[in-house]
Amino acid sequence: MNFELINPQSFKELFLVLKKLKHRKYRYAAGCTDILIELKRNPEDDLTLVNLSQINDFKFRGISQTKNSVRLGAGVTANDIVRNLNIKLLYPVLWEAAYNLASTQIRQVATIGGNICTASPSGDITCALVSLDATCVIIGVHGKREIRIRDFFEGPRQTALKKGELLYEIIIPGNKKNTVKLFSSFIKIGTRRSMECSVVSIAYHIQIDGFNKILTSGFAIGAVAPTIRFTAKACDFINRKNINALTERDAESFALKVSEYSDPISDIRATRWYREKVLFNLSKSIIEDIIKCQIEVK
Amino acid sequence: MKNSDTGSFIVNFNLNGKDVKAEISASTLLLDLIRNTFNMKGTKPGCNEGECGACTVLINDVPVNSCLYLAANINGKTVTTIEGLSCNDGSLSAVQDSLVKNGAVQCGFCTSGMALCIKALMFEYENLVNSKLTGKKPKLTENDVKKWLEGNLCRCTGYVNIIKSALELINNVERKSG
Ligand SMILES: Cc1cc2nc3c(=O)[nH]c(=O)nc-3n(C[C@H](O)[C@H](O)[C@H](O)COP(=O)(O)OP(=O)(O)OC[C@H]3O[C@@H](n4cnc5c(N)ncnc54)[C@H](O)[C@@H]3O)c2cc1C
Ligand code: FES
Ligand code: FES
Repeated sequence: MNFELINPQSFKELFLVLKKLKHRKYRYAAGCTDILIELKRNPEDDLTLVNLSQINDFKFRGISQTKNSVRLGAGVTANDIVRNLNIKLLYPVLWEAAYNLASTQIRQVATIGGNICTASPSGDITCALVSLDATCVIIGVHGKREIRIRDFFEGPRQTALKKGELLYEIIIPGNKKNTVKLFSSFIKIGTRRSMECSVVSIAYHIQIDGFNKILTSGFAIGAVAPTIRFTAKACDFINRKNINALTERDAESFALKVSEYSDPISDIRATRWYREKVLFNLSKSIIEDIIKCQIEVK
Repeated sequence: MKNSDTGSFIVNFNLNGKDVKAEISASTLLLDLIRNTFNMKGTKPGCNEGECGACTVLINDVPVNSCLYLAANINGKTVTTIEGLSCNDGSLSAVQDSLVKNGAVQCGFCTSGMALCIKALMFEYENLVNSKLTGKKPKLTENDVKKWLEGNLCRCTGYVNIIKSALELINNVERKSG
């Protein structure tokens, strides 16, 4: 493993660096928990790492709340999320994904920017952010642009970032004003707790009003397709339905619609068949739990 | 920090209570800096991929895998390794003592990482207690400890005594310190 390293201290410095590196091969390094493993296994020649972890920028490292959204800097770590009680309250799905990522040691340094930009089909925090319909704020030598996170992934390890660009912030839309109850959680089925490669992961965030109507829902699946996917048709199917009226059949239809988005592979951890089964059963059980919960309340 | 002639960097940091300075190359890992430049061999290279926790050190009191940490990022920070955990007179710290007394050390390969993680858990717990407005102390459960030590593998002990040590230390935290 051998590379050059540049440590910009501000974004101004970073962009000067990027201009200089225009014709060179470079990559960013944040918490380094993905990239160092990658480079240890497959060293790249003539590579320069542009280190993001010394950049002093409070937005890049901070979590802030505005009236209609929560903004997370790309340099925010999994542990920063775990410590944020607002996130635990407003977006349990995101909090759980961060809390169950890897290990105590890795959560201290692993960033959400790294989790997203590594573009793994099984990135946990990323899966949660897709379910929350988050937006990526990208900055680059040519300015700033925004893109929905569900459109950010072009394939495994491929993102919409162009040379000279990087991920700066993630914006999560605020919960609906009328939301009184949340069904929001992150489920990861894996072979071992800390393995990045889950067999199936599901992130969901369902907002319900005081009349038991589903105001809006977000559902994302990981590790069952080349990229993490937002299962829009399944969400549309339950949006605006009253949970009192949901039936067992609906749970099944919902799970079928989720499955349409999956295209899993067979590998050392699980077969395609197994992944499909787990995904279907889990999706179904989430709706069933919502139905059950309603009966208990009544 | 960069020396443009040689492509190397100079880092200044605090290692086990001493201010130190070192010349490193761009791709030097903290693990190698500690073991090779400072010749402290208590920090163990295990998997080298973030899985086992044998290489755990505390950076500003939080546990980090030194096998995945660029030495260039250590500038200005405080590092504690297992060598820095024992008391100034060379005797064992409460964490180490408890691990020994509970038979939580077999081959010892994971022990540095375990000890440092338990130390960090004690810090974490103290912060929790200090931030609580109500006077009552929360009791740490076995599951809390298991969750905290998820990133530390032990091939020998079966974890029971390691977890027991941590629970003893923390749930009696007012009687012992360090
Ligand atoms: C033992 C172990 C267990 C793990 N377990 C899990 C797990 O359970 N769940 C999970 O999701 N992941 C897991 N991971 C993977 C990894 O820890 C996460 O993906 C982490 O969030 C990556 O963040 P980082 O800051 O370390 O990224 P880095 O390694 O620094 O970067 C990753 C990639 O993103 C790019 N990048 C980083 N920041 C930016 C930015 N702001 N803009 C553009 N590009 C950027 C880098 O160039 C690089 O290609 C695990 C890793 C290890 C070693
Ligand atoms: S050697 Fe660092 S975690 Fe195993
Ligand atoms: S005592 Fe041998 S690995 Fe833990």
